[in-house]
Amino acid sequence: MNDKVFVQKSMIQIEDLSVSFGSTDAVKNVSLEIAKGEILGMVGESGSGKSVTALTLMGLTAESAKITSGRVCFDGVTLAEAGKPRDRALYREYQGSRMSMVFQEPMTSLNPTQKVGSQVEEMLKLHTTLDRNERRDRVAESFAAVGLKDPKLLLDQYPHQLSGGMRQRVMIAMAVILHPDLIVADEPTTALDVTIQNQIISLLREINRRENNAMLFITHDLNLARRLCHRIAVMKDGRVVECAGTEEIFGAPKEEYTRSLIRAVPSRVNAVPGGRKEAQSRGAVYGADGAGADGRQPVLEVHDLHVYYPESAKGFPGRKQRKCVVSGADFVLYPGEVLGLVGESGCGKSSLSKAILGMNREIKGTVKHHSTRPQMVFQDPYSSLNPSKTVGWLLMEPLRAAGALDKNLLMSGQEMEERAREMLARVGLDERYMSRRPSQLSGGQRQRVSIGQALITRPGLVIADEPVSALDVTLQAQILDLMRRLQREMQAAYLFISHDINVVYCMSDRIMVMKDGKIIEQGETEEVFANPKEEYTKALLKESYTG
Amino acid sequence: MTGMKKERKPHIPRVLRDPYLLAGAFMTLTALLAVLVGLFWTPYSTTAMDAAERFHAPSWRHLFGTDNFGRDIFSRVMKGAGTTIFISSLVVLFSASLGIVTGAVTGYFGGVVDEIVMRFIDAVNGFPSILLALVMISILNSGRHNLILALGIVFTPSFARIVRSEFIRFRDADYISRARLMGVGKLRILFVHILPNVFSTFWVSVMIGFNNGILAESGMSFLGIGVKPPDASLGNMLSDAQGYLMKAPWYALFTGLSIVWIVLGFSLLSEGIRRNAGEVSDER
Repeated sequence: MNDKVFVQKSMIQIEDLSVSFGSTDAVKNVSLEIAKGEILGMVGESGSGKSVTALTLMGLTAESAKITSGRVCFDGVTLAEAGKPRDRALYREYQGSRMSMVFQEPMTSLNPTQKVGSQVEEMLKLHTTLDRNERRDRVAESFAAVGLKDPKLLLDQYPHQLSGGMRQRVMIAMAVILHPDLIVADEPTTALDVTIQNQIISLLREINRRENNAMLFITHDLNLARRLCHRIAVMKDGRVVECAGTEEIFGAPKEEYTRSLIRAVPSRVNAVPGGRKEAQSRGAVYGADGAGADGRQPVLEVHDLHVYYPESAKGFPGRKQRKCVVSGADFVLYPGEVLGLVGESGCGKSSLSKAILGMNREIKGTVKHHSTRPQMVFQDPYSSLNPSKTVGWLLMEPLRAAGALDKNLLMSGQEMEERAREMLARVGLDERYMSRRPSQLSGGQRQRVSIGQALITRPGLVIADEPVSALDVTLQAQILDLMRRLQREMQAAYLFISHDINVVYCMSDRIMVMKDGKIIEQGETEEVFANPKEEYTKALLKESYTG
Repeated sequence: MTGMKKERKPHIPRVLRDPYLLAGAFMTLTALLAVLVGLFWTPYSTTAMDAAERFHAPSWRHLFGTDNFGRDIFSRVMKGAGTTIFISSLVVLFSASLGIVTGAVTGYFGGVVDEIVMRFIDAVNGFPSILLALVMISILNSGRHNLILALGIVFTPSFARIVRSEFIRFRDADYISRARLMGVGKLRILFVHILPNVFSTFWVSVMIGFNNGILAESGMSFLGIGVKPPDASLGNMLSDAQGYLMKAPWYALFTGLSIVWIVLGFSLLSEGIRRNAGEVSDER
């Protein structure tokens, strides 16, 4: 035992590893080490090779992946090497028992037809000789250890009965139950909202301390990596650009790419230059839209708005039960202003926006619009563009619709095409994209088209519901930048909804904090951030603080 | 030299090497060609009877032989297949259009209308379709137009159902919500925004429907309530042939094989198109 310790420098050694799929190299000459008790963060944009590195380490890559150089060592044993076929038997000894993995999607990584208890138990069945009762006890213990309440009850529940956060905890329980020496967590919190995210991060940190194991934490979010990891490796195009201690990376990044990543993170400290400050001064200038007598006529007035969702409406038409999801919302939005709305998922943000747009009619209270046809930008760039149309058609459709409704706005085909081209240029895409279909665009490009489509009729009000939450950091920064610029150019008012208080900070002049269907705090952005009144706001600020 | 070789051996796209597509296209094209020619010209008259030519076995003179009235079976198959394909096409056109409208409206709007229409459709589906068409024809009287009408109505529910489920899937898509916000009219949302997305799924069922239409028409005419003699249709020819199964087996054999040829060819073609649809659109 003892002499092993001195031979072994680190738990994991990846030496000069290159992995390719056919002719494309996904990973190029990557060398990394992870020591016992250390958490290594692997940060990079999607497609930078972080997941392939991790999967190669775990021996889980697809058959088409070939190691073209280097090797992977685990605890002094070479698991994979260039030029040798994968040794499945060897891997099987290590997978699960000595190294385990937590995936991104808690919704799909559990089998929906099996009870969660038996899914975790499976690990014990494969790797230990415990009998059924002992196994169930162990599972319950590990459920308790990852902070799940009522572990005994949980054993016999199915995945769909658990929330996303709980499922991710179950996945973590499954990963740690055999006390492995290495845990690979591949974007474990990306699908979860901030509050849950923080709980999972704390849990991972606690597990690392308790078990003293090595951990590889993969994420596109530098903030998260900073809060959890001891060291960070920044990856780009399959290479490790920079690898150093966390403080070093943030304090004195050596590479330009690392610096640009750090800058891209929406943060209160690195407030993007030319962003909010200008926006505020602009707040005093009213566009032609604010035609009211004193120029201070709001574009939107919401007064004591309650939004309901029908529950168990089917079958018993007489006994409709309504669940109140938003209660007593009360606010105004002025022309050219950005109002941020922040809160965790399920707090009623989206219900509020739908009610404002008239997509949900189960409401009480008043919503007054003083702008024509408010538009919306959705979160998911993949479902917000009609797949059967071309980008040009999509951009012209709002103009056609406006023309059909109001003869004054009727345009000739040529005029519309011109407007569409102009809009396309404004959102940063060139003319070739006019004839493309959404399936030929990336997520970021789609979101650009969406934004263009929302703004092309120059609506006074745009509601943006988590417009950047599905994108990775660098794209996020670009899209936020674009939205801000267009908002200034086109004098639109935004109701900007996000769960990420940092994103909201970057965008908004004023801010509203929502919790359990109530707006608990609203005020000027700086004011709310400088001295939050509510406990919840303080907690949100603290959780997201990036230093 | 090498350049010339390349020219002689042009690159054949993988699509055109798909056996389903090739076989299906060949069978369907030959059938269509025979039918098209049959519209204007047939080797022999399809109605003139000739007692001297009765029950000739297949030969170079009469490819498929002759029937009990001395008529050339090949000529009659050309005409009959035309009738059958024509009727089936109209049936599909009728039922698909009706199905699109009912499916779109019920799927998009939902609510009470949806419940009523769908329960009615369930009821229609409860009966075997041929039986239902039989009942309708016995009320309407037999004949080409009534056959198309009856089969069209019987075929509508399956189309309506498919279109409805697709519309339910798409009506809550973000891009449809956005179209509503833009103020796009309801009809335009239904038929311009949603319908094109439904077509890829719908196309498959149209092709299946066409085959079912051929089989149904043949079945109805076989039972004597479709196309009336002396007009030829594959169904009523098969019905005639039944009586001479021993004496002139080629009569039933070649008529039946023609039905198989058309239906199989079209199935293979549609399967081939479906399998290659992804690839073709990728190449674009």
